[in-house]
Amino acid sequence: MVIGYRRVSKLVILFLVSEDNDGGSSRQGREKDWDSFQGDFRKQTHHYQQGGYELQPPHLLKDYGYMEKREVQRYQVRHTPYDVQHNKRGMKLHKEGCSDVTVWRGRKPLEREMENTQDETTGRWFKIIIPYGRKYEKTWLMDSIQSHCSVPFTPVEFHYVKNRAQFFVQDASAAYALKDISYKICDAENWKIAIFVSTSAVPYSVRDKLAPEEMEQLKLAMRKRYDVSQKALDLRSLLYDPGFAHLDIDIILNRRNCMAATLQVIKENFPELLSLNLRNNKLYQLDGLSDIIQMAPTVKILNLSKNELNSTWELDKIKGLKLEELWLEGNPLCDTFQSQLTYVSAIRKYFPNLSRLDGQDLPPQITTDIDKPDLTSPSIKESCERSDAMKKQVVQFLQQYYLIYDSGNRQSLLGAYHDEACFSLTIPYIPNNPAPSSLFEYFKDNRNMKNLLDPNLRFQLLKHTKHDIVSSLCVFPKTQHDLNSFLVDMWLQSEKMLCFCVHGVFKEVEGRSQGSVHAFTRTFITTPASDSSLCIMNDELFVREATLNETQRAVSIPVPTPSCSTGSTLSQEQQEMVQIFSIQSGMKPQWSQKCLEDNEWDYIKAAQVFATFKAQGKIPEEAFKQIS
Amino acid sequence: EILPGENGRRKNSVCLAGFTIFLNIWSSYSRGNRTREEVVTPPLPQQSVSGSPMAMPVDFKTYVDQACRAAEEFVNIYYETMDKRRRALTRLYLDKATLIWNGNVVTGLDALTNFFEVLPSSEFQVNMLDCQPVHEQATQAQTTVLVVTSGTVKFDGNRQHFFNQNFLLTAQTTPHNTVWKIASDCFRFQDWATT
Repeated sequence: MVIGYRRVSKLVILFLVSEDNDGGSSRQGREKDWDSFQGDFRKQTHHYQQGGYELQPPHLLKDYGYMEKREVQRYQVRHTPYDVQHNKRGMKLHKEGCSDVTVWRGRKPLEREMENTQDETTGRWFKIIIPYGRKYEKTWLMDSIQSHCSVPFTPVEFHYVKNRAQFFVQDASAAYALKDISYKICDAENWKIAIFVSTSAVPYSVRDKLAPEEMEQLKLAMRKRYDVSQKALDLRSLLYDPGFAHLDIDIILNRRNCMAATLQVIKENFPELLSLNLRNNKLYQLDGLSDIIQMAPTVKILNLSKNELNSTWELDKIKGLKLEELWLEGNPLCDTFQSQLTYVSAIRKYFPNLSRLDGQDLPPQITTDIDKPDLTSPSIKESCERSDAMKKQVVQFLQQYYLIYDSGNRQSLLGAYHDEACFSLTIPYIPNNPAPSSLFEYFKDNRNMKNLLDPNLRFQLLKHTKHDIVSSLCVFPKTQHDLNSFLVDMWLQSEKMLCFCVHGVFKEVEGRSQGSVHAFTRTFITTPASDSSLCIMNDELFVREATLNETQRAVSIPVPTPSCSTGSTLSQEQQEMVQIFSIQSGMKPQWSQKCLEDNEWDYIKAAQVFATFKAQGKIPEEAFKQIS
Repeated sequence: EILPGENGRRKNSVCLAGFTIFLNIWSSYSRGNRTREEVVTPPLPQQSVSGSPMAMPVDFKTYVDQACRAAEEFVNIYYETMDKRRRALTRLYLDKATLIWNGNVVTGLDALTNFFEVLPSSEFQVNMLDCQPVHEQATQAQTTVLVVTSGTVKFDGNRQHFFNQNFLLTAQTTPHNTVWKIASDCFRFQDWATT
């Protein structure tokens, strides 16, 4: 029956075609089989039909965990033509409304692949590979790529395979755009980053995404394991849990789709999760867990013990978590360390706020190394592009300026200021909140116009002429600035002016607030002077209390390496302990050694004793290294 | 989080642009040449012939008072405009003004207009203000004031950031008054390292 000839004709044809079930040889017929095959494939996650279109990846065998461990290499195979026979037969599944799942081994240019239409359920996926991507931090790498790529995209299943980093995208235009930026991004060492794009089948975590009813079951099962009072979720030994046996899903956490589903349930149901126990789940890598930073950022206690993590590099993938307590014992990586000390410090590099490891309290970290701030988010940049010569000039200026400023005698700063320069100082004013007492030394010079309303006072507190300025600078307490913490914004340069502001931290090294760390922002307007130095016309200094973060990142003044005078009576490990204790506590090595000796060389005990005595003020000043 | 380029805003801005144009025409009509978004102070005294430093104090205080008045007026108008009448904000800037926003350089009125359009809605609270007159030697005889502020801001109702900001304001003098405009603007979150 042909009704409404033109318009319906196409529809009619399709209708006819799909009825043609019994044509094993006809192309359309086979496609129908493919459809139904696919249907089965979806429902039964563990029963795969062999032969024919051999598409099931090796990983979906029962003991996935085992396969996963060894199959880093074979992962690659998953997304290339599964069946060599396909190539030989030159067969290509092609039907309107169905995506082309056959993947030609990259010989065929991307364009020809694009000719096939897209199915809304399976769509077209692309695999993006960054060879040597392993050496880049995930955040930096993805942010760089996102910011260079002209098309926004959502990366799926990002993970590392040997030296490569790879992920998937669904959008063809994104894939093209990513191809375009290959060799366009430079890394820190000026190497250009290559990006390879190829078509691929649906990534497993998407294809094997848990169906809604499975998610529901998972959610109920997880609810049973959640302790509301502790905000703790106990997922240990999930692999072996008889509780899941009645469900028709196996929650194997080392499978990407299960981990993703688990994190999704956590995000939706336990948003303020504090503690997560993943003990004994055969985790070989933490690529899947890395999404926890977006899904459950509040987690502070994490148990990864008795898994199969081989290297601390796995921890790199989750170091965005601000962990306070971590369990790692029972992982192969623990055996790779020479001593407890090196183990602890290696782990601490990833989680600076860690206070308990494997159930043991860690000695408080009194000073920490400076972390290079990771400023790669597209919206916040460390510094804008200015000429190198200019930057150098400013850096040199700041080094010289603060050398004198911190020296204890600020008189020589007279040479840095113009005769008619201006200087003023401010501290924050928050109504109903008294200014913190650590800023006491700055109260009387505070010219914050928000709470200083008298025009005469405003005039008086503005220091004018270099002599006035330097006199008032000399009155401020002695400081030690941390030049490594400085961030400089150069906001104007012209022939006559170079204007910049400096943000950073400093310590008070004497006076009532000795030891306090303050943060500051100092705005300079300078003019080039005759001897290629800079002459300050305006100087505005804003001082505030440093945040906890800023305080932690402030490094202590580098001290000369302690010379241990007791010599060879100490063992190698003991000498190491003394050195580390000395750096961490700030005490001279002789004193550090005494403290350790008195506490039977129990580092943790010694640290606690030290902290107690220090808090009680019992340690004489001479015990500490001179800060000059 | 605070990424320029959120496409959602485009739709609304097209509709509002027309309305705003109408509003601008109407408001400039009704107020004469001056709009709300102008920082205006009484005219500056005649510049003294640069004499010895001893002659400065009298004039200097006048400069300081002038600077304070301009700074206070400016800061009130600037942040209110930023929060409530964002589209008018660029009127406070010179044509060739430069903004450095957390390290991103934005130069010229067109770029500034785009930037402020995509910047999410803001809620500023200033808890520090300071200002200094800038010596003419640096500014080539154009009266300039350095304004430094600090406080808190919420973008799109999200978490609060502490910020530091400084401006260079230059004076455009007329016989009747002085109009101050922003020559440069530098803004940064205090938590730049951890955001």
